[in-house]
Amino acid sequence: MKEKLKHIKAALAGNPNSGKTSLFNGLVGAHMKVGNWAGVTVEKFEGYVRYKGYKITFTDLPGTYSLTAYSPEEVIARNYIIDEKPDVVVNVVDGTNLERNLYLTTQLMELEADMVMALNMYDEVKASGLEIDVKQLQVLFGCHIVPTNAVKKEGLNSLLDHIIRVYEKDIIVKKNKLSYDLQIEGAVDSISNVLREDAELAQKYPARWMAVKLLEADQLVYNQVTGRAVWLNTERVVKAAIAGNEDAPGAGLRARIASDRYAFVRGAVKETVKGPLGEKKSITDYIDAVLINRFLGLPVFLVIMWMLFQFTFKLGEAPMGWIESFFAWFGAVVKDSLPDNELRSVISDGIIAGVGGVVVFLPNILLLFLGLTFLEATGYMARAAFVVDKVFHRLGLHGKSFIPMVTGFGCSVPAFMACRTLKNRGDRLATMMVIPFMSCGAKLPVYILIIGAFIPEGMRGNALFGIYLFGILVAALSAKLFKSTIFKGESEPFVMELPVYRLPTAGSILVQMWIKAWMYLKKAGTVILAASVIIWFAGSYPKDTAGAEIFEGSALEAASLPEDERQEAVNRLENELAARQLEHSFAGRAGKAIEPVIKPLGFDWKLGVALIAGLAAKEVVVSTMGTIYALGDTGGDVSTLTERLKANPDYTLPMALSLLVFVLLYVPCIAATAVFHKEAGELKWTLFYIAYSLTTAWVFAFLVYRTVLVFSA
Amino acid sequence: MKLAELQRGDKAVVTSVDSSGETGMRLIDMGLVAGAHLKFLRKAPLGDPIEIQIRGFLLALRKEEAARISVEVTGHMGDGVPMGKRERKGRMKGRRHEGKA
Ligand SMILES: Nc1nc2c(ncn2[C@@H]2O[C@H](COP(=O)(O)OP(=O)(O)OP(=O)(O)O)[C@@H](O)[C@H]2O)c(=O)[nH]1
Repeated sequence: MKEKLKHIKAALAGNPNSGKTSLFNGLVGAHMKVGNWAGVTVEKFEGYVRYKGYKITFTDLPGTYSLTAYSPEEVIARNYIIDEKPDVVVNVVDGTNLERNLYLTTQLMELEADMVMALNMYDEVKASGLEIDVKQLQVLFGCHIVPTNAVKKEGLNSLLDHIIRVYEKDIIVKKNKLSYDLQIEGAVDSISNVLREDAELAQKYPARWMAVKLLEADQLVYNQVTGRAVWLNTERVVKAAIAGNEDAPGAGLRARIASDRYAFVRGAVKETVKGPLGEKKSITDYIDAVLINRFLGLPVFLVIMWMLFQFTFKLGEAPMGWIESFFAWFGAVVKDSLPDNELRSVISDGIIAGVGGVVVFLPNILLLFLGLTFLEATGYMARAAFVVDKVFHRLGLHGKSFIPMVTGFGCSVPAFMACRTLKNRGDRLATMMVIPFMSCGAKLPVYILIIGAFIPEGMRGNALFGIYLFGILVAALSAKLFKSTIFKGESEPFVMELPVYRLPTAGSILVQMWIKAWMYLKKAGTVILAASVIIWFAGSYPKDTAGAEIFEGSALEAASLPEDERQEAVNRLENELAARQLEHSFAGRAGKAIEPVIKPLGFDWKLGVALIAGLAAKEVVVSTMGTIYALGDTGGDVSTLTERLKANPDYTLPMALSLLVFVLLYVPCIAATAVFHKEAGELKWTLFYIAYSLTTAWVFAFLVYRTVLVFSA
Repeated sequence: MKLAELQRGDKAVVTSVDSSGETGMRLIDMGLVAGAHLKFLRKAPLGDPIEIQIRGFLLALRKEEAARISVEVTGHMGDGVPMGKRERKGRMKGRRHEGKA
């Protein structure tokens, strides 16, 4: 008979970099799933393990330094503990950084959580010669403590055993009280006594915790209490307490409360930790002396970024080629094996071509993620933000904005998602809105085509570099504009831990890279699929029946030509038919409809069609131009698209430059826009963003076109 | 004296912190409260932010934020005076011996 498993709900809480993720992976292995916390763009990791007849479910709470109500992470972590009431809270503590890590522990104590402490990085504690008196630390914090090494998976079974024992009430977690100075204690006592009159409230939240939070002016707790009957009395007591204390020597109540927590932690550390303290230089000190050195810091940063790009794009070239040929082959196979009908067309020209166009970037994305994850995991990313923060600060942004912006050179989709590290909403939206100005990988083929056709041989490299630079410039100016107008106000403060350098394990990097890549594929994949079908439809309907008839006639004529000329003639006719069809289609009509708007930029309706098609994915601009320029040029012997563009007398250098600028700046592809919408969360920002990028593109293209026109006349 | 005015290698103790608003909260959470000992490590290559060592970890913060923190210099790195020796002379000594043994 199969015994029913007992179910334990456990949560992991701890500081960033305490090893929570490693511990979580070590505990649950492959049984994990990544989701989102409701309403916020913070990832939620859940997983379970079966152990000794129990099924233990773990929720990895966001890493936080504290449990105030300021950042979404902190609110998530503490609401989870309060509302979901996990059976056991595993507090992951970095043993090499006890003082700061235990500060969070004091706050978990106040929440009266049933806690087990995982004293992680225990290998490093030992290696550094520190000795921690675990027994005494247990007495001070009232909970059991299990030394662990999350990477080597040491101590994990013992941790699981402890979790079960806490669940079975075999271990009683002592709810030790942290004591504050006398005045504060007095206030806490009187406030919590009043609060206890509301039985329902006191059932839900620990009264003492609420009292402390009210003294700390915690907005969320205020909101919980103000609506209730007890508020009348509570408010009076709280007001009296604040009035009686804020004029006491020292800073505000908040600082005093924090001070007392730190004093408790400091005392505990002094009492329980022995070992070499102080002056010895660590490996991190030596590395930092070079990497963020006053003179070398910036050059090192630039070299590392350059290497990241070389790595991403050079290494990605070959596999991109394979994927491209695979999709070309696959499309051809489908074409050959299905009857010639609409279904075949939507599958091979719509879905396969469209999805292929995105999957082609997968090698680049994977490599970029690999590089970024590696830099992040070693601890360099925080240093990079430290090195460049001043530049970003000038623009009104945060040093951390640079990671998403760098990612933007690969693809805007993951870049938007990377903006989650920015806590301040204004910072985040401003960064998201300028990301598309960083030329993504899909724009490169378009640049190459235009530059190849219109820019003189010797200037091409400079032109390409120039367009990238121009994008960065527009991004910088836009950020400045946003932050001094619509997103004015307090930015996220730059108060950031620089973690010690660590060589990450290959496994953890691959897992994290895979999680990110999978999110990219899932998001881009679904939207692209839909977008491809829509664009295919716009390009194929309504049917140009007249054109098809002419084609039939000409094909018959061609049949009478000699063998070698016949194939060529048929090809040409097919191109011509495709071009006519495109002109006749909704996309073609749209191109013609917008012609008056884009005329001042030097574009005709054909470019209009290409630009609209480019909304599916930027490199589609090239293939669309390929199709549409088959039209009308059939007389000459110009064959490649580049030559056809060159041969067209309407197309000049000013127009080419204007087109470059427009392609750089106008709305990114539908997939990116959809992800923007998801991450921004509000329709008004998506609409604003579309309007902003279109306007910027138009204005700059116009300026470039008119200026160059004047000078080249 | 303000934290941002310290020189490379200075050791100092925090005397007061402006703890208002979100920035104040962040500073407190990172352990910057009155009485905390810190070391001024360096400025970023462009002059801002700055890096300090506090409570055994490394913290970067902008001068703007550092301006909220008043400190008192207690010594200089490498001058042989361990951090915060003044306050905890007796106890520290014993501990240091044990550590070395
Ligand atoms: N030596 C050692 N390294 C560890 C241990 N646990 C984690 N690490 C390393 O510490 C680093 C941080 O670990 P993570 O698991 O990413 O930490 P985290 O708390 O999830 O950090 P965030 O994702 O920033 O919240 C990684 O490089 C790990 O390989 C440990 O017990 N011993």
